[in-house]
This record gives sequence, C-alpha cells and structure tokens, in this order.
Amino acid sequence: MPQLDLDTLGRRFGAVQALDGVSLTLRSGEVHALMGENGAGKSTLIRILAGLDRPDTGAMRLDGNSLPLANPVAMRAAGLRFIHQELHAVRGLSVAENMHLDRPYPRRAGLVHWRKLNADAAAALARLGLDRLDPRRPMTDLGAGDQMLVRIAGTLVGEAGAAPWLYVMDEPTAALTTAESERLFEVIGELVRQGAGVLYVSHRMPEVLRLAHRVTVLRDGKHVSTRPMAETGQDRIIEEMTGRSLSGLFPERRSDILGETILEVHGLSAGALRSADFDLRAGEILGVAGVSGSGRGALLRAILGELRARAGEVRLDGRALIGGPAQAWARGLAYVPRERRSEGLMLGRAITENVALPHLGPLARAGLFLDPRRQAGLAEEQGRRVRLKAASLTQACEELSGGNQQKVLFARALAGGPRVLLLDEPTRGVDIGARFEIYRLIRQLSDEGLGVVMASSDLPELLGLSDRVAVMRDGRLAEIVTAEGLSEAGLLQRFYHQDGRENAA
Amino acid sequence: MTGIIRRFGGLAGMLAVVLFFAINLPETFLTARNWLNISQQVSMLAVVAATMTVVMVMGDFDLSVGSMASLAGVVAAVLFVQEVSIPVAILAALGVGLLGGLFNGVMVSLVGILPFVATLATLTVFSGIAFVVSDGRTIFGRDIPAAFGDFARGGPQIGMVDERALILPNLTLVAVVVIVLIWIVLEQTSYGRRLYAIGGNSEAARLAGLPVMWLRLSAFAFTGVGAALAGLMYASRVASANPTQGDGLMLTAIAAVFLGMTLTRDGQPRVLATLAGVLVLGVLDNGLTQMRVDSYVREVLVGAIILIAVGLSALGRRGLTRRA
Repeated sequence: MPQLDLDTLGRRFGAVQALDGVSLTLRSGEVHALMGENGAGKSTLIRILAGLDRPDTGAMRLDGNSLPLANPVAMRAAGLRFIHQELHAVRGLSVAENMHLDRPYPRRAGLVHWRKLNADAAAALARLGLDRLDPRRPMTDLGAGDQMLVRIAGTLVGEAGAAPWLYVMDEPTAALTTAESERLFEVIGELVRQGAGVLYVSHRMPEVLRLAHRVTVLRDGKHVSTRPMAETGQDRIIEEMTGRSLSGLFPERRSDILGETILEVHGLSAGALRSADFDLRAGEILGVAGVSGSGRGALLRAILGELRARAGEVRLDGRALIGGPAQAWARGLAYVPRERRSEGLMLGRAITENVALPHLGPLARAGLFLDPRRQAGLAEEQGRRVRLKAASLTQACEELSGGNQQKVLFARALAGGPRVLLLDEPTRGVDIGARFEIYRLIRQLSDEGLGVVMASSDLPELLGLSDRVAVMRDGRLAEIVTAEGLSEAGLLQRFYHQDGRENAA
Repeated sequence: MTGIIRRFGGLAGMLAVVLFFAINLPETFLTARNWLNISQQVSMLAVVAATMTVVMVMGDFDLSVGSMASLAGVVAAVLFVQEVSIPVAILAALGVGLLGGLFNGVMVSLVGILPFVATLATLTVFSGIAFVVSDGRTIFGRDIPAAFGDFARGGPQIGMVDERALILPNLTLVAVVVIVLIWIVLEQTSYGRRLYAIGGNSEAARLAGLPVMWLRLSAFAFTGVGAALAGLMYASRVASANPTQGDGLMLTAIAAVFLGMTLTRDGQPRVLATLAGVLVLGVLDNGLTQMRVDSYVREVLVGAIILIAVGLSALGRRGLTRRA
C-alpha cells in the first residue's frame, strides 16, 4: 500500500507565505479532501505535488524514499495523476485516441493497430464500469462529464507495474452537471475500491462530506487540521476554514442613507444565469456570492449585455438596456473583468493606451484624430484617482504588479464617469497591500454615489465591503441578505443551503 | 438532423454540379475520356492539396507552395540544360522542396513566426530564387529531354473508345500514389494522429508530452516536397519551365482543403475530403470551359461557389453549437 508523506512544505511568493510548513500523509485506498478558502495554499500544494513548483522548505517521501522536487516526470513515475477542472480533450479524435495521447499508439507493421487501440481503451473503460462509452466515438459527442471520465480511464490504459495510485482532483466538478458529478463520484468510488487514493479539492461542501474519508483544512498557508470524517462535519470545517479576523482590512462602513434606485434587474436569464431579480441604489455595494459555477460571473455579464438575455430586463436610471456592452458602457455601466490578462488588458501596450481604450471617441480631436495629450491627461487623472504606482504612464502593463494592473482596469472603468461598476473578482491574484487600496477605492467610489455590483469568491471581502450580499445557487439569485452582522460561516452555509437539503433527501 | 444535412449537403451539392454539366453537355461530359482528362488536369492540384492537408490538420498552412512548385520546375530544367540525367535532376528538385519545407517548419515551429507571415515571406524568397536560377527566362524546347515531356503525355492504356486508345495518364497515377501515401500517414500512423491532436487542442498535446515542436516542423516537409513534385509534374506536362508557372496552385489548393473540410464531421481537414474538394474544382473548371463560359466569369463563379459551400457549412456549425 503506497503512502506519500509531505513533510513541512513551505513556499513563499514575494511577501506572501503561500504555504507554511504543511505536513500531510496521502494513502492509497481513501479519499482525502483538501479544504480551504481562496489563498489558503491549496493550489500551491497541488503545484508542488505535480512537480510544477519547487518548495522552499520540506520534502516529499514515497514509502519513505525521498522524491526529487520540481520534477513532473518523477511525480508521474511515482504514480501520481492529475485531473483538472479544465478538460484537456482533443475533440476531433476518438475516445480511444484521447486515452492514448500521452502514450504510444499500439502498432502493427508500423501502422496504427486500431483494433488493439480500441480494445485497450475499452478494457480501461470497463475497469471503471464505463462500458457504455464506445471507444470509437469522437470525443465531441461526449459531454464534459464523460470527457473527464475518459480522461480518468485513460490513466489506466495498458498500465502494468507502475500503475497510478494517487489521483489529485482539483475542483473536478466545476464544469459538470449534477448527473455528471454523480457518475464521477461512482468512478471515484470504483478507483478507491481498486486501491487508489484520491486527493480531492473542492469548494462544494456536500461533495466533500459525502466522498471524503479524511479532511485536511488549510488556512493562510498553514495546516489547521486533518481529521477523519467521523470526527468533523460541515460546521467544524467551515469554522476551521474561516477562523480569522480581518476587520482591519476593510474601511469603515459609512452610515448615511443610500440614494435612489439606479439599476433594476428583473427576471433576468442569460447563459448560465437562470434567474435574477434585484434593485441597486446609488452608493450601494451589492456583493454577489456563491460557489464557483453558481452563476456569479454570468450575472455580471448578463447585466452588461454581453450574454444575450433569454428573458427579463435590465434598467439603468429607469430606461431599459438592450444594446449590448457598447450601449451599456455608453450609458454608464463599467465592467472590470475577472481575467484581467486575457479579458482586460493589452499587456504589451502602455498604461495610457489601456486606460483610454474605450474612450477614444470622446477624446479624439474633431471626433476623428487621436489626441495623445488628452489621452495622457486622462490616464494621469484617473491613475491618481486609483493610486496607480508606475514608473511612467508609458510603461507597458505587463511590467506592473497584479494589483497595479487591476488599478489600470479601474482607471479605465472610471474614466467614462460611470454610474454603476460591475466588478468580477476585483482582488483576484492581488497582494494584500494593493488589496487594501482597492477596498478603499471601492468604498470611496460608493461614497461618491456609484452603485457597485461585486462578484467574489472571497468571503471576508464580500462581508467587509458589501451592504447586501446576493447569494447565487445553481444559476439563480436565491436570496439577498444584509451583510451587517452576517458571519462567514453563516454566509457559507447559505451557499449550500439547497444542496444540503437535496443530499439529505 | 442538422448534422445529416451538413454532412451530406456538401455531397449533394457536388452531385448537383455533376448533374448540371451532364445535362448541359450530354455528348462530352459523362465520358470516360473526359473524366480521365479531368483527372490529369487536377493531378498537380491534388498533390499540392493533399500535402497541404498535412499542415492544415495542425491548424497551420503553407502559402509558399506555388512558388516552390515553380522553383522546383526551374531547378530541374536548369539541370537538364547542364545535361544532368533525368533521375538526378528530379531528385535534386525534390531535395529543394524538402529543404524549403523544412525551412518553413523551422521558421514556424522553432522561431515561432505565424505560418501566414513565415510562408508569405518564403513565397517571395522561393519565387525570387526561381527567377535568379532561370535568369527570368522560360526553359523549353531542346533543353528539356524528350523522355521528361513524354512522361506526362503517356500512361498505361486501359481500353479503346471510337478507335482511339484510352490512356490512364501517368500524372493521375502519381497523384493517386501521393494521396494514398498521405492517407496512410494521416489516418494510419501515430505520427498523423499526433498532428490531429495538435490541431484539435495543442495545449492538451503539450500537456500529454507530445513533441509538438518537432511534429510541426516535420509536417512542413510534406508541403515542400509535395509542391516540388507538383512543379515537376507541371514542367513535364508543358515540357518547359518558367519561374511563375506554379503560382496559381497555392490559393486553389487551400480552397480545395477548405471545400473538403465542409464534408467532414467536425470540419476537420482529411485527405479524402480534400480529394473531393479538388475534384469539385476540377469538374467546375472543366465543365464551365466546355460550356464556353468566359474565363474571367469562370473565376467569379468558382469563387462564389467556394464561399457558398464554406459559408453554409459555417452557418450549419453555428446552429449546432447554439443548440448544444
């Protein structure tokens, strides 16, 4: 029975101690859940396990023998396999071919031996009870769930001797439907019955409660606890995940009365968003919370008009928004996207250009000719407003820290004089200092009368900034609660409210 | 249902084209002689398009094939002038194609230049070299050995019609051999399947540990050699070589692959589908010429038909994704 010991692993990124002396034992034959809030150190731990990152301190031992660090090939040879939430499937190839991506195709006389290829794939599928999947079918025909199961079965093809024994699954159900998740759980059960171990990382409490034999909680890079499931439970896990005080991080909540309603959302459904109703008043910060995949981001995109509405409407200052993102920006909605590198910034271009991008028309001389001086003036004015730190405004954005990149996007959003700000994970990948400044900025903007809708996976942030928190469940805006007096545990419980009931039934 | 229309709509369109010509040209169109003639007319295009499929499978393409074809023809002809033997001259011309293709591969894969830019540049380079090598002149007449020119005109006899021998052209045979070879490489070797994996999801291919760089680099050798071979076939057919004679091949070859892609599931490039695309273009050209349609009008018609086929296929696909 193999056993992998992680011994006092530590990893520091700049000023952040992402992992701080974490020790853990992973065994075959059990599901070990790894829990923690964003930034608790889960991803760092997984990257170290995969050999993609080198720990500053600590060691890994397989059955007592030291493993080389930062060596993906060695970790693979040690029998570890990684299943990520993003699917790495080649949709044009068949199921069997996808299962042979990382190993040679069986050959006969130099040509592909299709019969053996399909038979090997079928055998591996059968071992996990997936006989219903035809290895000859193109991957395109399969849903996201089945594609993931194929990926798992692919690790079993033709393995003799050094068979994989430890599966690290990082939010495997993030892109799956409930039924698909069910099938994944069956396969996990089958793997464990056949002696494999699973390190299961998920935010979804019901899954963890149901699958895990042991639960480890990380917080702020430190190991909090590892307990058998019998000795812990939802309340205890949540308590251990969140047990900290972050009160100093957030600016004082202002006490004055909110302004009139500026944004109304009625029965809105679009993309993954199934329904949402709320009003936003001037000066209000509405947090949008929920597990990943619950429709937080879709809500913002639907308001912006980037996702076309199937039903319902969005009104800004009483008038309906129907013209998509261009009209939304023009009417005073501003959006700061979640993926600032791919959806937000032109990384190679200067700060000035990035700030001015959506405002080139109004800035142009005679409505036609670009005016670099006016652009620079705008960038400077807004840069000061968001406390942007850069050597010069001609600096390329890729040279800035994550926090300052985020501020460039804020400067861009503010340059048009918006009425409502839509923020998707405004402090994702931002260090604690810049985080504090962004919180102050958001608060200051709301004091100036802007309405803010802020989707976030960071509970302290939601509770510390928001006036009210909208809880998303399964694509629906399920309820809106006042943030004042709400605890992290209380909010987290609302994420799972429905799920918990369904599972009990 | 949409899938069926999409899959067989293209085929139905092709049959409609054939039917149209069969009705309008009852005497000449559906004869063995005409079809053998078409097969010879498209043989060079077929070779270029088949090898083009190899790189398009990875989502790349090669714009330099036309000027490579010209260059290879010129190289062989210049060697003929030096009284080099036919086999050696042919091997040298194919060698030039191999080197040119590998050079494209290095630029695209190792240096990391977009295929569009890299092969646009080598298009100019190859074309320039062809002018330099040939001194800008057409090489013809006694300089070209008779055996070389005879090859394209010859072929095994397969029957008699109206007292005249029915010949299966040698060029057609060459094209068939190339297509079978490329089919085996793409569909029956793990090398070819890896190329499809790169085209389908290069990130997945990289994560699975495939040597993406080498695969991409080597695939360009196919287009280089294919283009050179087509250039030789052309030179043999007209028994002469000049530095611009292959120029038309590139756009038509890419068009043929795209037409073929409209016939396949998932819109993947596949060599047999490419062959169908080549035949459609060949049949259109042949039929319209026989109907005495002005050659400029012909170009407009052929372009429009490509747009309609690829456009309908794109619309069909959009419909599919919206449903999903």
